[in-house]
Amino acid sequence: MAEQEELVNLTIDGQPVSVPKGSVIWAAAQKLGIEVPIYCYHPKMEPLGACRMCFVAVEKMPKLATACTTVVSEGMVVRTDTPAVKKARQGTLEFLLINHPLDCPICDKGGECDLQDFTLRHGPSASRFDLSKRHFQKPIPVSENILLDRERCIACQRCMRFCQTVAMEDGLVMEERGFRTEIGVNPDAPFDSNFSGNVVEMCPVGALTAKSYRFVTRPWELQKTGSVCGNCAVGCNVRVDVRVDKVLRQYSRTNDSIDDGWLCDRGRWDLDAINSLERLRTPLIRKGGKNSELQPASWDEALTLIATRLREITERDGGRAVGGIGSTHTTNEEAYLFQKLFRAGLGSNNVDHRHGRFPATERNGLPWVWSDSIAGLEKASHIVILGADPYHRQPIVDLRIRKAIRGGAQVYVVTPEPNRLDRLATGVIRYQAGQTGTIARALLNVVTAENLTRGDFAEKRSASLDARRTTVAQDTPERAAEIAGVDAAALRELAREIAGAKGAVILYDEMATLEPTGANLAADLLDLALLTDNFGRPGAGVGPLLEDNNSLGARDMGLLPDTLPGYRPVSDAAARAALGGVWNATLPSEPGKSYDEMLSGGVKALYVMGANPASDATPQQLAALNALELLVVQDMFLTETAKRATVVLPAVAYTEKDGTFTNTERCVQVVRRAMQPLPGAKADWEILRGVARALGLHWAYLSPAEILKEIGRATPIYAGVTRRALGDSGARWPLVPGERAADGRPALQSSPYLTWQMVEQGVARGIAAGELVAGRGRGE
Amino acid sequence: MADTLDTVAAQPALPLGPRPQIVMKNIFAPGIDQIETYRKHGGYQALEKALRQFQPDELLEEVKKSGLRGRGGAGFATGMKWSFLPPQSPKPRYLCVNCDESEPGTFKDRMLMELNPHQLVEGAIITSYATKVHHAFIYVRGELALAGRQVERAIREAYEAGFIGKNILGSGFDLEMTISRGAGAYICGEESALLESLEGKRGYPRLKPPFPAVVGLYGGPTVINNCETVATVPAIVTLGADTYGAYGTEKSKGTRIFCLSGHVQRPGNYELPLGTPMRTLIEDYGGGMRNGKKLKAIIPGGSSTFILGPDKLDTPLDFESVAAAGSMLGSGGVIVLDEDTCIVGAVLRMTEFYRDESCGKCTPCREGTFWLVQLLERLEHGDGKASDIDLLNDICDNISGKSFCPLGDAATSSITSSIKLFRDEYLHHVYAHGCLVGPHAKPAPATARETNQSRQSTPVGAR
Ligand SMILES: Cc1cc2nc3c(=O)[nH]c(=O)nc-3n(C[C@H](O)[C@H](O)[C@H](O)COP(=O)(O)O)c2cc1C
Ligand code: SF4
Ligand code: SF4
Ligand code: SF4
Ligand code: FES
Repeated sequence: MAEQEELVNLTIDGQPVSVPKGSVIWAAAQKLGIEVPIYCYHPKMEPLGACRMCFVAVEKMPKLATACTTVVSEGMVVRTDTPAVKKARQGTLEFLLINHPLDCPICDKGGECDLQDFTLRHGPSASRFDLSKRHFQKPIPVSENILLDRERCIACQRCMRFCQTVAMEDGLVMEERGFRTEIGVNPDAPFDSNFSGNVVEMCPVGALTAKSYRFVTRPWELQKTGSVCGNCAVGCNVRVDVRVDKVLRQYSRTNDSIDDGWLCDRGRWDLDAINSLERLRTPLIRKGGKNSELQPASWDEALTLIATRLREITERDGGRAVGGIGSTHTTNEEAYLFQKLFRAGLGSNNVDHRHGRFPATERNGLPWVWSDSIAGLEKASHIVILGADPYHRQPIVDLRIRKAIRGGAQVYVVTPEPNRLDRLATGVIRYQAGQTGTIARALLNVVTAENLTRGDFAEKRSASLDARRTTVAQDTPERAAEIAGVDAAALRELAREIAGAKGAVILYDEMATLEPTGANLAADLLDLALLTDNFGRPGAGVGPLLEDNNSLGARDMGLLPDTLPGYRPVSDAAARAALGGVWNATLPSEPGKSYDEMLSGGVKALYVMGANPASDATPQQLAALNALELLVVQDMFLTETAKRATVVLPAVAYTEKDGTFTNTERCVQVVRRAMQPLPGAKADWEILRGVARALGLHWAYLSPAEILKEIGRATPIYAGVTRRALGDSGARWPLVPGERAADGRPALQSSPYLTWQMVEQGVARGIAAGELVAGRGRGE
Repeated sequence: MADTLDTVAAQPALPLGPRPQIVMKNIFAPGIDQIETYRKHGGYQALEKALRQFQPDELLEEVKKSGLRGRGGAGFATGMKWSFLPPQSPKPRYLCVNCDESEPGTFKDRMLMELNPHQLVEGAIITSYATKVHHAFIYVRGELALAGRQVERAIREAYEAGFIGKNILGSGFDLEMTISRGAGAYICGEESALLESLEGKRGYPRLKPPFPAVVGLYGGPTVINNCETVATVPAIVTLGADTYGAYGTEKSKGTRIFCLSGHVQRPGNYELPLGTPMRTLIEDYGGGMRNGKKLKAIIPGGSSTFILGPDKLDTPLDFESVAAAGSMLGSGGVIVLDEDTCIVGAVLRMTEFYRDESCGKCTPCREGTFWLVQLLERLEHGDGKASDIDLLNDICDNISGKSFCPLGDAATSSITSSIKLFRDEYLHHVYAHGCLVGPHAKPAPATARETNQSRQSTPVGAR
């Protein structure tokens, strides 16, 4: 449902083009594939008009116009190829070069430098400058990760403007003036932002370079693959830059709906794990029984050992004796295969993952999921951060919140600890750690007690409202003040703000659901949003901020003991039958053991994929781990858990395999293999396929794409999710029928937000989505 | 430390007959900088008249009718500028009086502020009333410490007398007035950089549009006028638009203050009707050239304007005639150079000014002025090449019309116009390795061209 944009028609070098009203000439030229060189302009920032590189000739304008600042108008006639334009471009380039050092042979930017490239394509072939250049000390560190070479700086101000207007962190400033102009660090605010790396990427020259990348490679030696960042639940779109067998950096691959063109420093540079020399390169097994040493083994040996032992145990004690702890890092395909292995192959529902408390079968199978989207934040009038720390945990969400603030959104930071957003917030409320649930109930109390509820849901579902009024009747802000040390008046005021908001988005950290008061946190906040009509449209919604790159996908895929893929309860006979049909298996109906139960002696064999429970286990749990008959660990490293394993299987990083991740706002995205897998190690899906085959199952999957196809059939909320449907920028589940494609087939489109009706009808069960899609398909 | 009024106050008794003194009226009256004396001379009566006899819109029409044009440099019609303010706006509107006067050769605003600050304050109040502004800022060049103190005191006195504040003279009109001091940047005289500076930011010019009349200070619609422009407003109210407009020419009405400097006998500020010939200013008021020297060149409107030759001496000093002569009336700073002035040296000095004052925002001005200075330096010191002269012209062409704000254009005016007028003198520097005139003059070598060619060896490091 794209808003109807008003288009303006113009011609550039004789070619007609139509662009949205308000576009600048540069964007129109871009659309035609006509290069207009730019330095100071950056499409994600306000035009500055400073570098004077982008001159074009516009009919009826007496002077040359800068394409980055001149807004298009109907019938405009633009030329980029007149002698005057060429001379002006040459003039600007010559000016920029008079003070530029001839560093190219030793400059990290060489090969991807806009000064080199534009000089080559638009510049003078020789300089007329035969005097002395300006000199500065070089390079100087401006932060822990970034070096500044002032001689190379062309003073385009991109970096400074990013710091001040995008990150709103003020790290870099302009110093001096005129020809002495230079970039400097703000003496009052260190350049320590989590977003600092963006300035390295956007610096058009080699003035700002990354320490980690310095003198390491040349750009033309890099293999560049479009993929998705695997470092947190935001799922920023990246270009993975690999040299031979090392990932050297991730650059942005702009996805406006998720990252808006930015990456955080963690995503950009935290790649040590992938490149680590400590990685496992061969399966390890204990040949001489429990107390022997782990020794290298062949894949065949390892897989046979696992299959034999698993068979032994299940034949003796049944499927209930084996369990699996899956990963929030592996792909959807892998998470899916993992639980399939247990449910269909071993007859066990004992599968879980570590994070958050998400009793998924409550409320019609709705997963606790962000009902809106990252991009939707820009439309919110209020954003409430409750017990969350997006700056550190979901950094690019924090950056989008800053953009929303610039657009006028009011942000309330309600957290136990100081938060990096405090400075920019309309309201800051502190409370004692562990009391997030108390705060949520107090907000709900105010809304119900003061009759501030409104909207469709509150009207049509008054029973639900009445029930809520009773359950939170005692939980006043004043009581919360006693329990949680919170400012009652401020909390009351906040509840009223939420209730009166044009659109409020309430975000909490999934980990807050694990607090002692957090058992009902997700449900309470969902009700708060529903009852105040902050739901079901962009810029209004509620949801958890998740931790890992595939925290949501792991759950979607059924890495939960009580639900099948797509949040259908294992107790639901129809769902079991449907899935059993796809899998050609009979599925166990009894809910399985949870993460904690499995770690506390609940199983005799445990299979851990991409998780490290021993790292934060209690002594009892450690003892139970040690007592297991069989412990299989599938990981990139010899973790604390792997050291206790009977069999260790070496897995690869996300940059070494294909698949999909689902980010914290339901966006399923394609991850692409950017490098050869580490010799000796395998992708988790391949390993799982091997184990299944060793167990005698007929798993013939040739690729993750094939697994995804099966997921689409087996998981109603993923109906229609194929590589093709996901395209380059992913899609938010559930996919719903959209406009017809050119060939007349109904195209699927993503759901940018969930409505309460979707929630109520059980989106999660696929009634809304899956059947819509299927029905539509049959009807054709 | 008592404030002492320095040189500008020591204006010599003028030898010539009566001429209209409108802005400079009473300026040398002792104690006019005090409110009582100012009032004794009729001060603040224009304000009373404005508030009592005019609705704001009528006042605006009156100023339009007077033909007053901005005295800051561009000469934009003042009434017209005021009328660009949107009638309604959600944000407050502001007046900013531009007293940043830093254009080399210009020193009239300084005099107005130091000697007769109340006239400026009164003008600012009337202007605010006419433009429905309730907060006026006076931005005073940082280096003008005395002027700043004078204006500050005048504002204080006007507040105490009830001319600023709530319900001024019972009219229901409220106004706050704030003085703000610059921090030493010529660019902050450019109106949008001034706004940035007022907001406490770095003095960078802003992208236009939007123009300040629509989005100005703190995002509100803003009128920006030069000090002299604003100081003229009370006189227009007192005299009436017709009387004021009767002075001057058809398109350049009224009087303005010309700052005469350079090699004349009596430099100083002279208020003359627009259209007065340059010769009258220089010869009659300025007493002609010093030491009987010959006139070499005139810079008619501050260092940012094109240099004119002696043949243009009879040009009338109004916007149109000076433009027709190939320059601009600019800020009214008339700089006179005599025959002993080395033109390359003079141009070098001016170009250094622009290099140092360039804000550094845009490439052509930031890098171009740096290069221009280096070339001019080497020419002035006799190390230049003949090709440098065309190179200078071409660099100027790459700056002019390409820079972000007019400062870049301004930096090139003296260079291109001097090369046009005095190319031989530039060439002399190349061939004689020294100046044609002045203390470093060197005679031209007999075989100039050969000498130069023998020096055409390429400097180290150059291509
Ligand atoms: C580089 C530069 C410096 C300027 N400096 C001054 C100044 O010092 N005083 C001034 O009144 N106008 C100055 N101006 C002109 C102002 O931008 C503006 O046009 C003027 O203040 C408008 O007032 P007016 O219409 O009353 O002339 C400068 C312009 C430029 C481009
Ligand atoms: S460091 Fe780079 S981004 Fe920053 S101003 Fe200089 S050239 Fe531009
Ligand atoms: S916010 Fe998360 S997904 Fe985005 S770049 Fe940072 S770590 Fe990667
Ligand atoms: S021309 Fe450019 S560098 Fe020069 S003062 Fe104006 S904006 Fe600054
Ligand atoms: S890119 Fe247009 S002026 Fe810099």
